[in-house]
Amino acid sequence: MQPNPFLSVLRNPLVGVFIALLVIFVISAVASPYFLTSYNMSVVARSLAFVGLITIGQSMLMMLGELDLSLGVIGGLCGVVSGMLMINLGLNPWVALLACLLLGAALGCFNGLMVTVLKLHSLVLTIGTAGVFGGANLVLTKGVAITNIPKEIQFLGRGDLFGVPMPFVVMLIVLIIASFVIMKTPFGRYIYAIGDNTPAARMLGIKVDTVRVLVFTIAGMLAALAGLLMVTRLGTAQPSIGETWVLPPIAASVIGGVATTGGVGTPLGAILGAAIIGVIENIIVLFGVSPYWQGVVSGFIVVLAISFDSISRRYIRGDR
Amino acid sequence: MAFLEVEDLTRDYPGVRALSEVSLKLELGRVHILAGENGAGKSTLVKLVTGTENPSGGRILIDGQDAKLNPDLHRFVAYVPQELNLFPHLTVSENLFLPFSRSSLSGRLVNRRQMNRDAQSYLDRFAISAKPGELVRDISVPEQQLLQIARASVNADMKVLILDEPTSSLTSTEIERVLGIIKAFRDQNHAIVFISHKIDEVLAIGDDYTVLRNGSKVADGQIADIDEAGLIRAMSGEDIAASKHFQPDIPDEQSPQVPILEVSGLSGTMFNDVSFALRPGEILGFAGLLGAGRSEVMQTIFGYLKAKSGSVKLNGTPIPLGKTSQSVQSGLLYLSEERKLHGILPQSSLRENIGISILDQISNWTGIDLASERQKVRDVVKAYDIKAAGISQQMSHLSGGNQQKAIIGRAMATRPKVLIFDEPTKGIDVRTKTEIYKIMKRLAEEGVGIILVSSEMDELRKCSNRIITMYSGKVTGCFDSSTTKNETLLGAMFGSEANPDAA
Repeated sequence: MQPNPFLSVLRNPLVGVFIALLVIFVISAVASPYFLTSYNMSVVARSLAFVGLITIGQSMLMMLGELDLSLGVIGGLCGVVSGMLMINLGLNPWVALLACLLLGAALGCFNGLMVTVLKLHSLVLTIGTAGVFGGANLVLTKGVAITNIPKEIQFLGRGDLFGVPMPFVVMLIVLIIASFVIMKTPFGRYIYAIGDNTPAARMLGIKVDTVRVLVFTIAGMLAALAGLLMVTRLGTAQPSIGETWVLPPIAASVIGGVATTGGVGTPLGAILGAAIIGVIENIIVLFGVSPYWQGVVSGFIVVLAISFDSISRRYIRGDR
Repeated sequence: MAFLEVEDLTRDYPGVRALSEVSLKLELGRVHILAGENGAGKSTLVKLVTGTENPSGGRILIDGQDAKLNPDLHRFVAYVPQELNLFPHLTVSENLFLPFSRSSLSGRLVNRRQMNRDAQSYLDRFAISAKPGELVRDISVPEQQLLQIARASVNADMKVLILDEPTSSLTSTEIERVLGIIKAFRDQNHAIVFISHKIDEVLAIGDDYTVLRNGSKVADGQIADIDEAGLIRAMSGEDIAASKHFQPDIPDEQSPQVPILEVSGLSGTMFNDVSFALRPGEILGFAGLLGAGRSEVMQTIFGYLKAKSGSVKLNGTPIPLGKTSQSVQSGLLYLSEERKLHGILPQSSLRENIGISILDQISNWTGIDLASERQKVRDVVKAYDIKAAGISQQMSHLSGGNQQKAIIGRAMATRPKVLIFDEPTKGIDVRTKTEIYKIMKRLAEEGVGIILVSSEMDELRKCSNRIITMYSGKVTGCFDSSTTKNETLLGAMFGSEANPDAA
């Protein structure tokens, strides 16, 4: 019995997510005349960029079998610290941005070290560190935004490159690098191996703890990048940056085929998942759904999307 | 009349036909042997008969009725899987009676005292020494195995009992107990299905047999009419000399050589002060009871477990303990007895499973060269005769024997200096066993140091040049495998102070 080539294409989880995105996209385009306007497209792309950066980091952690709930808060904290360095200390904006990228990496690294050295459960640990980092944000800012971010770096958040919003370009570059690392380097293979079967990975001589700490560090740095881009987009360092970046990246990763238990999925799939959520949120606004109902509607559509995925998995791909 | 009848049963998975038009009859009061190599379709048949999965074709008659029309009939069938699947954090009695509805304790509340009292009678019957209130994680592995059988029999409706390799992690005394239990069930007019790769057990306890190969029935009949050679021939489709020896010829014993591996004064969890040397070209066997500490010694040498004291020298140079990455780099590999837990990457493909160990050989600045990875993996698949639908097949869909060969092939692709095999043939059919023995012999003769940990005395005698015995965390002797009597070895395994040969 030869495998049917049509079915084996459908069995690739990326194809399923892509079709789902396409369907939602077409429905939105038909349903609302505003959806395909270049202004609206750039709004969707820009907001996808910020959540997308967190999603790339979170999906790589999930492929390892870990989770970091403090990524959003790291983004927010790095954002306000960059504002303070630029405004309160008068530091060169570029130096400030670089310093805060490193700060994000350090905070991610701290999470990773706690998880590996003390053998803590990453979910519970990062609930704790999210509290610490978020609290530090409030202590530093007293809840007040830092304004007057220098104009020379605002193009990072507001500018366009050939009509494509700058943050989206940055996100695409990061996605390409992450996909290369995941698919073409030994490091990427080690991530899958550890997520699939950690003891077996250790038996193979893979430096399990080193890989885990590194991925936490990368995720922290990407979170900082998202926070910094948001600061340059708003022109002010808001303490509230990152508050909505916690759960959507996890949902996006699951929609995109990343298992919370590790070992399967790709950052590209996770980004497609994030795009599905982004388009849904956009179309709800375009339809003028009452803001009180937006959460209900978008949540319901996410539930629908993952149910559809699970059902198609059972009947088309033949998993059980 | 047969109690359970299977007619032309077929089951298709995407891309494979796992079971093809198999028929068999189970009669009450008889033990039916289900034989076949790994991947022959035994587990698929069991899943259909227990109602875990639905057939693609054919039908199952239980007590004369079609099970498809009345799925409730599957309650007559009890199944003991090969792997332990107890609840480690619940007590012995809770494990015995869950779900409570199928035992007589069907009230809304659980009466712990009554439950423990009822449990004790089952434990007595199966000669399990654990207390009903003990947590399952605290009792020994053989007791857990027995508890699993006891649990299946709690089902009051049970008429058919299916046992999938119930003896694979037991030692001889416990095996006797299991066989005794099976006989008792048979005499109480139950139908037993017994799956095992151990031919002597099969011949000793079976009444009828059915042999599967590649998803089809190839032979059936009564055990009285067949012998060991006939059964093996039916399973593998060819003659295999079961009694052959696989000891490597040691090239030149006189020349004084540095041992490949030298362990001195090693202590760790479960064992104390272990010293031995592995000579070039030999297979060194390790014998002992369950819990003697053999696996712990090996995992400590490999760096997976922490050592308390002692040292390990590879080709005369000490290697740092406690780091698997260091051991692998210096050419010391360990293949765990727990294939599923410590060996395979289940969700990854066969290509990724083998490729993972040779990534540095096939990567350059543009990343992993996928074409050369595919080529190298195909070479390994060919050299070790791994049977799979293709190198992109998911690892968990391969049969146990092929998974084991893939793991050995993966290890060999790194060109190790020392390879430690921990129970390499556990749950593996006779033909594949022979292939693994041949591989070990070939490797030893190519100069790779081989250590073989095994619970099967026969396997140790066949393959190893010298056998080291352990009892309760200590080395009790070192014997020349061709000149030592079985009784001497057994004595040393059971802790009597044997006089170690000079070997």
